[in-house]
This record gives sequence, structure tokens and C-alpha cells, in this order.
Amino acid sequence: MEDKRRDIYGAKMNSLEEEQLIRCPICEAVNRDQGKKNICRRCHSKIYQHQKFQTEKSWAFLITAIIFYIPANLYPMLVIKQFGNEDGSTILGGVIVLWEMGSYPVALVILFASVFVPLLKFLLLLYLLISVKYSLGNDSKVDKHTLYYITEIIGPWSMIDVFVVAILAGLIHLSSMEMVAGAASTAFALSVFFTIMAANSFDSRLIKGRK
Amino acid sequence: MPLVVYKNFPYTFVLLYQNMKTKITSDQLDELIICHKCHTLHKKVSITNGSKALCKSCKGVLYHRDDSLIEKGLALSITGLILFILANAFPLIKVDILGQEQVISILSMVVRLVESEYYIVALFVVYLVFIFPLMIFLIYITLFFLLKTTKKEQVVEELLILLSKIVPWNMSDIFLISILVSLVKLMGMLEIHIGISFWTLTLFVIIDIYMTRSIHIGELWKIKEEIYMEPK
Repeated sequence: MEDKRRDIYGAKMNSLEEEQLIRCPICEAVNRDQGKKNICRRCHSKIYQHQKFQTEKSWAFLITAIIFYIPANLYPMLVIKQFGNEDGSTILGGVIVLWEMGSYPVALVILFASVFVPLLKFLLLLYLLISVKYSLGNDSKVDKHTLYYITEIIGPWSMIDVFVVAILAGLIHLSSMEMVAGAASTAFALSVFFTIMAANSFDSRLIKGRK
Repeated sequence: MPLVVYKNFPYTFVLLYQNMKTKITSDQLDELIICHKCHTLHKKVSITNGSKALCKSCKGVLYHRDDSLIEKGLALSITGLILFILANAFPLIKVDILGQEQVISILSMVVRLVESEYYIVALFVVYLVFIFPLMIFLIYITLFFLLKTTKKEQVVEELLILLSKIVPWNMSDIFLISILVSLVKLMGMLEIHIGISFWTLTLFVIIDIYMTRSIHIGELWKIKEEIYMEPK
């Protein structure tokens, strides 16, 4: 197939050549896509050397992340032990408490970082993974490279809640009042980790058609 | 293949269009650059010192030109490392609970998580806000020092590869926001004092953000190639 396209160079040559250039994710050098075995000509690192498993790796990480996201929302994130009472609050519970306290900006930050960002990342990755394999009607107007860039950029933001739990648990530990990390913190941290891994293992060569 | 160059933004700007109708040969690959955001292919043009080249379609920064990048980078990374050490040497926050004082630093937070048997969370915290930032700044210092003295090309290459792998995992900036969020959560409940380390951590994060935004790893590779080519 590729050889045939190379033969008809002529008028279409320019766009064809552009399609064959890829960017090394490690050193940013422009490389010619050699298909199965791509070794960056500048830093000699392997570029997407998994022709047989183009999307499967990314799918595996994404599904793991989604599975971890469920307990992350069901179990308490932070447990407050006060005078013998144990009081655990989930992610959404924590947001509601903050909202009722009147700290709207912080409630919004947490809602954004722990609810919207993970969900948005799941949806974007699902869309990207499905759309590179099956045609979803007329989606040529969607700029998938920008969508991919967004998933890369917003990733770390979801860690806010985990860090907050770590800070509070580290700060307040007295016999009368104690804050302890809850089971959700582990699940949430793993969920964030696997979404970042899913985004990293996505083969951006699969997105065809630059503008 | 268009390339927009904003010369000394925002004062004057020049638009440069390059029409590449000819075939791209393999020795021309060095003259090309693909935008990190939108993957548009551009041909590089030379720009003046202190200016930056922007992508035609998404206006993202493609590359800068800074003739004193190595000296600046070395100075900034040493400052960053000193600030990071200070940020870990003193307490970040201090609270008064029923007459008892409680302090926290990054490492004591990790110790506390390990004590309460949250090993995975502890591992994440120690890597994302302690080991990776420390490694990044140590790598920067070594890297700029080697580039300055033109020694050990092999080590420089390995460090650059390592750097590009760990930079996305550095979450000091997110950690700083988390501190602010926890302060708001505790406000009204307890008496809070902000420690010295909070301010040094803030300065560290500013330097960290500035460095990741102004030093592209692709540019370091290019500088490396230019520096080690000369003696031959």
C-alpha cells in the first residue's frame, strides 16, 4: 500500500511526505516514519515500537484507571477521628462540606480537579482510542492532536486531593483529634497514575491528517 | 509549511511563510519542527536573540533563541536546588491544637503515611514531590555544567533522555496548590502559622515553572549538537 502511494508522487507528494514525518517524544526531533522499527536519529530511543499492540496497551491502562476510579469515589478519602467518633468523607462529600462552609473557590477547585479532570480524561481518551480505530462519521473537523495535548496537560491536576489528604493526615495526629488517609486515597492515586500511563502510551501516529 | 515569528513579542512581529513544494530529503529533517500542541509541520527559520518562534495554527511556542541559555540555566538550577533544600529543611505549616504544636514538612508527611500503612500513597507523594523535583534539578546542574565545559557527550545524551522522561512527573506546583487548599480547609478550625519552608517552596515552584516553560528539551539537544560538533 505504502509503496504504491510513493510511486504516484507527482502532485500529491507534498502532503504525502508530511504524513510520513513523526516527532520523537523524547527529544522532539523530526523523524521519518519507518513503520515497525523507529529509532530516533538524534537520541536513538525507540519511537512507538509496538506495531501489533497499537492501542491495546493504552486501553489496558485506561480500563485499570476507570476501575480504580470507582472505589475512589465510594470509600472515604479522609477519616477524621475526634473524641472517639470516626467521620469519613468521600470526594463529593468533601466538596459539599466545603461548599456549605462557604469556601466556594476551594470547593470548585476540588470539584474541578477530582471530578471533572478525571472524567474529562477518561472521555477524551475513550474518544481518541475509539476514533483512531473505527470511523465515527464525520469527525475530520475535530482536532485530535489538541485533544491529546489537553489530556497530557490536565493529568497532574487530579493529584490535588491526594496531596491534601497527605498534608492533613501528616499535620493533625493527636489523641483527641486525628486525621487519617482513607482507602479512597490509594485508589485515587492509582487511578491518576494509570490515566497518565494510558495517555503516555497512546501512539499519536494513529491520529491521521494534520491540518 | 508556515512559520510565524513574533520578534520580541509583543512589539513587532513578522510573518514568514515558507512554501515547501520541493521534496523533503532526509538531510533536511533538522530544519523542520513539529508543534507539540497541534502537530503542524513547520520549517525552522533563524530568529534574533531573545525572541521566540510561534506556531502558525495554535500560537504555541515552537522554540526560543537565547544565546546565554547555559549560563542562565546553570544559575537558575543552582538557585532552585538551594531553595528546594531549604524547603525541606524547615516546617511548611505549623498548627496549634489545644496548646500542642504540630509541624509538617514533605518528608514528615511521607513518614506519617508510611506509619499509617498507606504505602502506595506514600510512594506517590515521595516520588512526585520529593525525588523527581530533586532529580530534575540535579540533572539540570550536571547537564549545564557539562555543556559549559564541553565534556562527556555520552553522559549529556543520557541525562537529556532521562530528563524528558521524568519532567512530566514533577508535581511540585500541584503540591503547592494542595497546601493552599488544606490551609483553607483548616481555617476557622485551628490556628495556623505558615512556616519558612512554605515561602522557599513557593519560590522554588516559580523557578521550576519558569524553567520548564523556557527550556525546551529539543533546544537543549540542538545546543548539545552545536557544542560538541566544534572541536572536530
